[in-house]
Amino acid sequence: MGVEPWERDILAKEEMQLTTDPIEAAIDDHIYFSKEASSGGRGFGGGGCGCN
Amino acid sequence: MADKTPASVSAALAAATCSLLGSMPAAPVQAEEEPDWDFNTALLYYGEDNDRVQDLSLNILARRYYVDDRSLTLGLTVDTLTGATPNGAIRQNVPQTFTRPSGSSAYTVPAGELPLDDTFKDTRAAVRVGWEQPLGRLWKTSVGFSGSREYDYTHLGLNGSLARDFNKRNTTVSAGFAVAHDIWDPVGGAPIPFAPMLDVGDTSNKTGSETKDIIDVVIGVTQVVSRRMLVQLNYSFSNSSGYLTDPYKMLSLVDGTTGDTIPRVAAPGAEGPSHEFRFENRPGDRTKHSLYGQAKYYMAGKVLDASYRYMTDDWKIDSHTVDLRLRWPLGEYSYIEPHFRFYTQSEADFYTISLVDGAELPRFASADYRLGNFDAMTAGLKYGWKTRTGNEMSVRAEIYTQNGTIPGDRLIGNQVGRETYPDLDAVIVQFSYHFSR
Repeated sequence: MGVEPWERDILAKEEMQLTTDPIEAAIDDHIYFSKEASSGGRGFGGGGCGCN
Repeated sequence: MADKTPASVSAALAAATCSLLGSMPAAPVQAEEEPDWDFNTALLYYGEDNDRVQDLSLNILARRYYVDDRSLTLGLTVDTLTGATPNGAIRQNVPQTFTRPSGSSAYTVPAGELPLDDTFKDTRAAVRVGWEQPLGRLWKTSVGFSGSREYDYTHLGLNGSLARDFNKRNTTVSAGFAVAHDIWDPVGGAPIPFAPMLDVGDTSNKTGSETKDIIDVVIGVTQVVSRRMLVQLNYSFSNSSGYLTDPYKMLSLVDGTTGDTIPRVAAPGAEGPSHEFRFENRPGDRTKHSLYGQAKYYMAGKVLDASYRYMTDDWKIDSHTVDLRLRWPLGEYSYIEPHFRFYTQSEADFYTISLVDGAELPRFASADYRLGNFDAMTAGLKYGWKTRTGNEMSVRAEIYTQNGTIPGDRLIGNQVGRETYPDLDAVIVQFSYHFSR
């Protein structure tokens, strides 16, 4: 499992990063944190607002 | 009054809390001698139907790269929130009057309608600062601060992470922590648990501010499977303690036979609630465990991003989340990305739609629909393109729906056929601009 260093051409593409759009990820996490009883998973669980 | 709203995108937390482990994109490949600023900006509109929550949010995330893969991240989010939100009371066949959280006036909900508190209007500002750098050849660390402020809520948080590469950098093991101290300063004061809603001007059912502390730990493994596939698995632990109640939510006190809310008469000459309402009360501690798995798969130019999360907590809420995105290139400079998300959760063990008059009070109770049993679905489409100057823009439009159920055996008397879960339909529209300097 895995690749050699010279085989990382595709993995280095921006669209292959785990989070391609950090702001969109943060926005989504916050929307769902505010409207659902779950949070976190990808990163920390959230908080920072009175949304419970 | 600050609400429980969506996109109050706590950049502070959103970014700071959401990110550390894996949420931040990998640093782009660039010449080490060329320190650079990278800006991600977004304007978001989130709007719920029936004049419920509306949010307009401006987000900026700037990252400066230094030599040796060190980087500084600065984030700012400003949210403007308006609209109405369910206050927890049930529908009645007669109008219902409620004292506003401030205690200075009242509002009335027409007969048959879901009681919504329309008083909240808030502006929220959130900041985050992060520093990331390698430690030797295989280790990487980060530290960060997050803070946010809205009218009735303040958040302060610290976070840090450590990661190490193994196996020719095909495997990365990471661990992160975050601690936060949040302060509730509710409009009118935090209600005494289960205290009755009182007449306008009577604040003897309120106290001052409250606090809560949050500890998060995330442990993750990222593995390169092949030239075209990458997977990540995270375990998360989160503990919140302190004031976890929503100071603006209440429950209707109902007759045990008819299920109707007990009428109430205001003091002579005073304006006040038309019925008996009790402020909610949640446990002062909550521990959550999550397992999260994500895979990215490259297929002849298209990229599938699939993730699943299982969460369970000691409030007896279990949830499952599936998220799918497919990035589909349209020529060399643009792409479309359909997005589908499904979420389902079971209710908290203290969730109830009403309290029965004369019965012994439960230890805890909340009628907050977000603690109920519901499914949610998101469907949307994003279109992104590169400009002539090499910058990136994108627009996305999504719909988000929640459909809940209230078990029939929970309904009393006239509640049958009248009380339904306050389903939600919302739209999400976002414009993003990504550029470097």
